[in-house]
Amino acid sequence: MAGISTHVLDTDRGRPAAGIRIDFSVLEGGTSEGGTSHVGTSHVGTWRLVKSVVTNADGRTDQPILAPNEARVGQYQLVFHVDDYFRERPGTAEADIFIDNPVVRFAIFDPAQHYHVPMLCAPGSFTTYRGS
Amino acid sequence: METSALTRRSFTGLGLGGAAAAASGGVLAQAGPTPSAASDKPAPLTTAPASQAGLGPRLTLHAIDNFHGTPAAGMVCELAWREGDTLTPIKTVTTAANGRPAEPLLMDAALQPGHYELLMHLGAYFAARGVSLPTPNFLDRVPIRFRIRDAGQRHHLPVLFTPWGYSYYRGS
Repeated sequence: MAGISTHVLDTDRGRPAAGIRIDFSVLEGGTSEGGTSHVGTSHVGTWRLVKSVVTNADGRTDQPILAPNEARVGQYQLVFHVDDYFRERPGTAEADIFIDNPVVRFAIFDPAQHYHVPMLCAPGSFTTYRGS
Repeated sequence: METSALTRRSFTGLGLGGAAAAASGGVLAQAGPTPSAASDKPAPLTTAPASQAGLGPRLTLHAIDNFHGTPAAGMVCELAWREGDTLTPIKTVTTAANGRPAEPLLMDAALQPGHYELLMHLGAYFAARGVSLPTPNFLDRVPIRFRIRDAGQRHHLPVLFTPWGYSYYRGS
């Protein structure tokens, strides 16, 4: 199955992270080869919010982030709003929250393939990768 | 010192045979017969990690290429303030042979509490090393978002990456 999916795990607790808002956006008006730059102008585009979803008790989303028939070559981004999650989690000192609502930008280079993009987090660390 | 021979470089030679490793070339960045003086080439791993304990407040970066098993030399990184979706560029640096910029990203009074984003040019880094990847590549310019809450502390930011994933954390 093609499309985009994700899975958020709290590696500090060894559990799925439930109730995390994820903003999914697509880059419009940029070049196909890259995302945006802070200072350059050659890759400037606009991130258009496609939808916001919230992780379920398993740390996944009830519906795919992007359905197979909607997959196109392009640049996409997922913003994981973990700040509220960590602050509301018992026993977490706010001073220890180092990662800052991380964003993952990635490309669909072949719409026939599936892109599973998990996010593993703790207050002080972040990991993502192309999963399966 | 006998232990000086026990580098990852020498393990590469043991595993593949020195000649085979050198002959295969290409993406085996550590297998080259001699280290290049150019700052954008991976350095042979002959140095031990450096402790920064006891140093003053600063933000330091260490980029590690987990695909080649080397420090990431020649990685262009743009540091910016972040307020919501608004980014204010602070500086652009390039990592040296040891995977670190020549100077700390921020030091002393320049280190302020706030939201930061470091944009790492991952796609260009691997393209410069001849790594064959899809177009567009899965990861190109990777944003690293982190927060500095206490400017009186030392902050170390290690970033470990491959063309297919990355990890960062508050180091020491």
